[in-house]
Amino acid sequence: MTADPRALTELLEESQDLQADALRPTHEALDELVETAHAQPEDDAAANQAFHESHTRALTSSLAGTALLGAAGGAVLVGALASAAAASSSSDVQILQTAASIENLAVSTYKTALTLPYIGGSSANPVVTKFAQVTMGQHAQHADAFNAAVKNLGGQSQTKPDAAFVPVVKKAVANLGSATPAQGSLGVVALALELENIAAETYVKDTVLAKKETNKALLASIMGIEAQHVAVLLAVQALLMGGAPQLISLSPGTAAMLPAAAGSVGFPNAFYKTNSAAPAGQGAVK
Amino acid sequence: MSKDKTKKFKGTERELQARTLELDELHHDVGLPAVAEALAEMRGTSRRTFLMGAGGAMAGGAALAVGSGAVPTLAAASTRRLPAVKAAFPPAGLTGDLAVAAVAASLENLAVFAYTAGLSAATAGKLGTVPPAVATFATTVKGQHQQHADAWNAVLQSHGKAPVTVTNPTLTPTVQSDFAKVTDIAGLAQLAVTIETIAAQTYQAETSKLKSSAAIQLSSSIQPVEMQHIAILYYVLGMYPGAQTSSGTPLAFNPTSRAV
Repeated sequence: MTADPRALTELLEESQDLQADALRPTHEALDELVETAHAQPEDDAAANQAFHESHTRALTSSLAGTALLGAAGGAVLVGALASAAAASSSSDVQILQTAASIENLAVSTYKTALTLPYIGGSSANPVVTKFAQVTMGQHAQHADAFNAAVKNLGGQSQTKPDAAFVPVVKKAVANLGSATPAQGSLGVVALALELENIAAETYVKDTVLAKKETNKALLASIMGIEAQHVAVLLAVQALLMGGAPQLISLSPGTAAMLPAAAGSVGFPNAFYKTNSAAPAGQGAVK
Repeated sequence: MSKDKTKKFKGTERELQARTLELDELHHDVGLPAVAEALAEMRGTSRRTFLMGAGGAMAGGAALAVGSGAVPTLAAASTRRLPAVKAAFPPAGLTGDLAVAAVAASLENLAVFAYTAGLSAATAGKLGTVPPAVATFATTVKGQHQQHADAWNAVLQSHGKAPVTVTNPTLTPTVQSDFAKVTDIAGLAQLAVTIETIAAQTYQAETSKLKSSAAIQLSSSIQPVEMQHIAILYYVLGMYPGAQTSSGTPLAFNPTSRAV
């Protein structure tokens, strides 16, 4: 196993055509949940178009509010992201497809990370390895569940990662090639943290936007899981940066050795924010 | 990669960076330096001195809760039984989203009570040695639950209703009973997991049933924070730090079987 950036990039590119083999059977309870959503497929074209335009405007407004927009070719970005959403799909389908695209990206990212010796190899912290393995599997289940809900609404499964975030992941992965294990571990944690937080914030926001009760329930059942991933990664990041990787452990007595600040680093806000949420239609199937 | 693609990618990176800047700044400005500083201190400090320092922090936290008057009846009752609530709950006249708000406030009050009681018991030396991270956890989480209670009571008050200042009457007897059996930090953490789990699952269940967007938004913004509390509690207990079955199998989807 090496940290060759070309190999990592290739792996990531392969995983863009996601990933039937990584998908897990949908949880039974979610099958029931989705089955109850066998309501009429949403086909109100005017409403769907309004949703699409509304969220394009929201995205434009949001980006225009940043000082970066003009300098960064923001109009191009806005156009690219807005066009990703298919106005012909219902708003719930767009939300679910976007969620699936985020999950697909998370799966591919953890899959790549686990090829690194200091994440999934013999030199890795076993707690970190298990966390990455379990979390990757959970994201695969989430993607499966979101796509099952899409199908029940008559939509097309989203099997690709969120195109807006893929370049960020690629760049981060490429940078790992020349990193030391310590630097690489921090890089992986930082990247995972960004993706997990985007997922959690997106689902928090989408519980308000989704129309069907079952879709709200599905999003709500996952948003807290992603937030837990964030909490763990924040704690791990803090311990790595503090030079105490040995405290990333579930052994008895570890808690007694943790610094006081470790008790609160995992939940920096009393209310989960949504300013990093992906636009609802960003990952919709074109 | 074409020039156009480069432009698009650059913009996307900037967008992502801007979106995550606030979280990063908060984490790096406050969380990470605090952990690093504490770790540095630990290396030059004996275990005994460190734990004594934690005891001081516990005492400070408990005194603040009692002295602040934020939850006067609960803080005063910290280690004795709460008065039984005889009135109907949710209070008469509250239906729909407002009834949910009342239940939510009562759950948050219960959490504040439990952490206040835990901190008081720890300060009194009833729970053995208290790890400093656990002390910080309890103090911070208590404050977040108080903010949650305040938010739900603000909803009630904005609709001309009285704020809910009691702990959840259904769960209070059980929590009291369980708390009476707590003799160490592990027991307190287990009780905290129970309370946080009930709160998180209740918010989750209500998120799909609430009618007003504002109520959904508030409920959805709190559930993940309760889930984060649970993750760190499991870590403190030496268990897998995430939602799990009673036998410890991690869960990809949070259930709602313990919602009230």
